[in-house]
Amino acid sequence: MSLILVDDLAKSYGRVVAVDGLSLRVEEGSIMGLIGPNGAGKTTTIKIILGLLKPNRGFVRVFDEEPWDNQDIKPKIGVIYERAYFPSRHKVFDYLKRVCRIFGKPESRAREVLALTRFEDAHDRTIKALSAGMLQKFAVAHALIKEPRLIIADEPTSNLDPEARRELLDLILQLHRDENVTFLISSHVLPELSRVCESVAIINKGKVWAVGSLTELSEKLGARTTRISTDNPEALGELIRKLEYVNRVEVDSRGVSVGVLAGEDERLYEDVPRLAKKAEAKIVGIETGTASLEELFRLAVKSTQGEDHRWEKVDHS
Amino acid sequence: MGKGRPFLEIFTYALDEDYRFPILEVFAFLFALGTFVFADFAAYGQTGEALAYSSVSTLCGFPLLFIFVVLILKNVAYGLGGDLDRGVMQTLFSYPLKRRYILRARLLSGLGMALLLFLGIQIFGLFLLAPDVILTYPGTVFWTYAAQLCSPALLLAGLVLLLALRLKRGGLALLIGVVLLFAGLVVSGFVTSIAYGTGSALVLKIWAVINPNSALQSYYLGTLWFPSEIWVPTFSEVLLYLGAGYLIVAATFVAGYAYFERRLEI
Repeated sequence: MSLILVDDLAKSYGRVVAVDGLSLRVEEGSIMGLIGPNGAGKTTTIKIILGLLKPNRGFVRVFDEEPWDNQDIKPKIGVIYERAYFPSRHKVFDYLKRVCRIFGKPESRAREVLALTRFEDAHDRTIKALSAGMLQKFAVAHALIKEPRLIIADEPTSNLDPEARRELLDLILQLHRDENVTFLISSHVLPELSRVCESVAIINKGKVWAVGSLTELSEKLGARTTRISTDNPEALGELIRKLEYVNRVEVDSRGVSVGVLAGEDERLYEDVPRLAKKAEAKIVGIETGTASLEELFRLAVKSTQGEDHRWEKVDHS
Repeated sequence: MGKGRPFLEIFTYALDEDYRFPILEVFAFLFALGTFVFADFAAYGQTGEALAYSSVSTLCGFPLLFIFVVLILKNVAYGLGGDLDRGVMQTLFSYPLKRRYILRARLLSGLGMALLLFLGIQIFGLFLLAPDVILTYPGTVFWTYAAQLCSPALLLAGLVLLLALRLKRGGLALLIGVVLLFAGLVVSGFVTSIAYGTGSALVLKIWAVINPNSALQSYYLGTLWFPSEIWVPTFSEVLLYLGAGYLIVAATFVAGYAYFERRLEI
């Protein structure tokens, strides 16, 4: 069952087009990541899904319902914003107890979520006295009060220190594993997304450019990287750069990392020995691996800047 | 899940925000001070309903214009606008309540409680200081409060509600609200001057639609404050102007509700 179904969504702010024909589907029990450069349309998409913005065009269903001003779906959705917004004069525990009452949960749930988020120490502090990181933790606790089936998080780790980030990611995995909570997470911290997300949607210029697991996306986008270890990376890198099917060459002191168009791996393997001989370079090793999320993200940014046209070849379905 | 509990919780949240210590206490004190200090029942030889009107007007004039209006500007413009400005409304929208109930809770706290506080102290003061007025002329007392509250207080509340929703900036909505308040006072002065200067009642009648208290004042005190030959409305006309004034007030609130419910994007 799809908990979120978005089709051909469009949203503009005056002349600025934020989302343009975006389609997305989040299945129950999945963890989906949204990545894309700044201004790609991630936050606008999330706000439309949450019923905070109205699309100019398109179809949105959350739990099979229209999200705008829909009180029935709210108890099922936990929200974590990049910047947490709460009435600042209340105390942490008092406010969480109020939220428990709003959602018809016993007040003991407030204590449970504080324990779950390891936030008991801040129990008596006023919300305005919390640091940015603590506020983010509070936002997580706040989102969990209602025991949601779906959590939508916009940059949930942006203000957290490394330890708190790790804890939050562990919590996400735990909730997913133990309670089958579905997540839609937008983040720029890509290693974290790749740690928790089963699938990723790459958004750029208001469209979903590709959806799939990291492996699927690498295959689909031809973003696999071949690493060639050599004693003369500079000379070999220069020659490889001239190959027409190569789109990315990074040279460091120990070798060359090469990105090639989809299906051209074998050709590179055939050409490397010839080029190494010409460059008088000794090949120590050669292997091809899945591209990291960073590499996929970088491709998306290049695409925005018109430097890379592989996206146009991709089946975006 | 019923909506009663979430509504109550958001209402009490709004009360906590609008009247955190010592705001409620300070405003209650100011209302009491304004009511008792500015009470003047000498009334320049008036009798009957004119005396009742004058007494209530002097009793509520200062607290209404300079304390009640400040409170609603603070609560509606700055409070509601601030919730939009600071993003708190996003959090409120994640609770299981229709948008109109969230706005209702916010307005009941910001405006309803302010009204209750103001009228409670006023009526108490009136009973204490001039029991004859309220017991002998309850109708006059009622109409005077209705007219005094309509404009600028409630009209301004409706306008700053629209401003706060449209601008989503509490500080700016507050500032424009203050400017509107003083602009209203200036326009009122101009209207009177034009009426005296031209001898025409037209501007007075137009102004009475926005500020029905001017019609009521003319009805009760016409010979004293305005030349009777310019304009003394009948009581039925006063009620028409009052109705028109409240229609305008209602229109601003209905527009605010409709915008909040159907159009407000955050």
